[in-house]
Amino acid sequence: MSAVATPARQASGGMSTKTLNRIVIYGLLALFALFYLMPLFVMLVTSFKTMDEIQNGNMLALPKAPTFDPWIKAWSEVCSGLTCVGMKGYFWNSIKMVVPAVLISTLLGALNGYVLTKWRFRGHTLVFAMMLFACFIPFQSVLLPMATILGSFGRFGVTLQNATGFNFGLGNSTVNLVFVHVVYGIGFTTLFFRNYYEAFPNELIKAAQVDGASFFQIFRRIMLPNSLPIIVVTVIYQFTNIWNDFLFASAYAGSGDVMPMTVALNNVVNTSTGVVEYNVNMAAAMIAALPTLIVYVVAGRYFVRGLMAGAVKG
Amino acid sequence: MAFLEIDGLKKRFGNVEILKGIDVELEKGGFLVLVGPSGCGKSTLLNTIAGLEQITEGEIRVDGRAINDLHPSKRDIAMVFQSYALYPNMTVAGNISFGMEMRGVPADERQKAIDKVAKVLQIGHLLQRKPSQLSGGQRQRVAMGRALVRDPKLFLFDEPLSNLDAKLRVDMRIEIKRLHATTGTTIVYVTHDQIEAMTLATKIAVMRDGEVQQFGTPAEIYNNPTNLFVADFMGSPAMNLIPATIATSGNALSVVLQREAREPITLPMANAPTGLSAFQGKPIIFGVRPEALTDPEGAERNASNIATADLHIEVVEPAGSDTFAVTNLGGKPVVARLRADANIQPGTSTPLAFNLTKAVFFDPATESRIR
Repeated sequence: MSAVATPARQASGGMSTKTLNRIVIYGLLALFALFYLMPLFVMLVTSFKTMDEIQNGNMLALPKAPTFDPWIKAWSEVCSGLTCVGMKGYFWNSIKMVVPAVLISTLLGALNGYVLTKWRFRGHTLVFAMMLFACFIPFQSVLLPMATILGSFGRFGVTLQNATGFNFGLGNSTVNLVFVHVVYGIGFTTLFFRNYYEAFPNELIKAAQVDGASFFQIFRRIMLPNSLPIIVVTVIYQFTNIWNDFLFASAYAGSGDVMPMTVALNNVVNTSTGVVEYNVNMAAAMIAALPTLIVYVVAGRYFVRGLMAGAVKG
Repeated sequence: MAFLEIDGLKKRFGNVEILKGIDVELEKGGFLVLVGPSGCGKSTLLNTIAGLEQITEGEIRVDGRAINDLHPSKRDIAMVFQSYALYPNMTVAGNISFGMEMRGVPADERQKAIDKVAKVLQIGHLLQRKPSQLSGGQRQRVAMGRALVRDPKLFLFDEPLSNLDAKLRVDMRIEIKRLHATTGTTIVYVTHDQIEAMTLATKIAVMRDGEVQQFGTPAEIYNNPTNLFVADFMGSPAMNLIPATIATSGNALSVVLQREAREPITLPMANAPTGLSAFQGKPIIFGVRPEALTDPEGAERNASNIATADLHIEVVEPAGSDTFAVTNLGGKPVVARLRADANIQPGTSTPLAFNLTKAVFFDPATESRIR
């Protein structure tokens, strides 16, 4: 039977087997992409609709009369709990937390990677293994110990305040979150930079030593300028993680006007009074997601290139 | 007093001794080549001179000053690396002036020095390019420029030509030699290529397993190897090292070489080294370079001790400038170097002349030279 079937298949599909494969592959990819993008699409169109249209219309339909009102309301009027001043304050809270946390953790990761590959000391593998271990600690398990540490920071801040008139940021919720994110980010940033610098030629370091460059001069003039791909990877990774973090944010800055964006968004959406304003909620969620999207769009191609850099050398 | 003196230098990693007591010295303006197979410690030795690796014992002196405890940048040295190690983020000019920048040389002086070096190496048109935009030979030049601009007491080269293709390697070799001749700098140069060693050096140190096997001028190393290793390592094609025995004929000694399926060859030695008489009837290694085994017409006319024997030619390799013929003696392939137009056929028996004045003998047990 197969003897009959095989020539028949060849006759009918000789030209089109390849094309058929392509159609199946691209069809499936398109389907997955559609599936993945659907929620984003619904969010986007809903955020431009009026409440009337949402209540009476189709979820997937395009807005009949697009309006920016939900976005404006989400930005400057929406209520998070009992305060109704919009998301903008919380947005800046997040920025104030993310930017220093990303910069500090990236810089420390680069420094760690530099030392762990180019200035090796006895036990460097153990240190690196412990750093790696830090990547796999479930964050829930450190909530309480970290709260204790942050509490003592706060008390120390009060002591400093009394003694010098300035608390050096200790006890400030944003500073606390920056600290937490730096501590838990270092494991990953070190991993990224160590693996990147592992392939970094040692002769360049030797040449710089002969040229008379010091430890930090080599780092600043030779290592960092040649690390762009991995810096981009680390920044994207850290930015996304810290910006999207909800656990630490809600645990250590979960109320008042120090809340980061993620906590505030949760409060907006969970408000139980009155009508649920889906359009405003969607707009608020879009605002919360926008910075990470922008980072991806701007630096995404470096992200892929950086991830590949260690794997395929040359 | 020599310019560069290395005294009883030892280097250990834990229990492993990488360098086992190196004693080498070089006159001012000399060109020392450290040569040996990979893993012999030649690069480690260079790194200890540069200060990139610490030494365990001994002393390194440059111009009478001990430098072994100084930071690399304080040793007044410059180094050219195998991969050139050009900083990818800086222009050629930036690469050349980085060292001066680190030492706080003012910008206008740096520019002057860059221009001077660029002129010497003819890289003026490349100064604003990044290393990735340069060819292999250009990178090599820039790397040398970076070393030259420091005007150091000592230049260190770590296999600088091994990343270039064959033709460029020869060109750059000549360039380095010319540079050495015109600037009169003192150079220590590491290579595994014995031709580079022969052509460039004023002194060669042949190394193996962390020890200097022989230290001397290229001619000494080539003509008077102290042991089997040096004899085998230096020269291309390599020296023929043939198992043989010593026999007495009358009151003169002769070398007996076994041939396949024929009676042995006996070569009478007119001026045998005195040590050889102790080896009568014993096995030795008979060393003869391919150019000392040639067709009788091509043999050196004024050599005092030439012996001719019929040899069965197995393979003929015309190389253009010479013709190499391979025969078999003492169970080993033996290469003879003939004139390019020598009329020789594989599979025939042909008379070849041994220039016995150039022959050397080794004790197979100790591998050292019989003198």
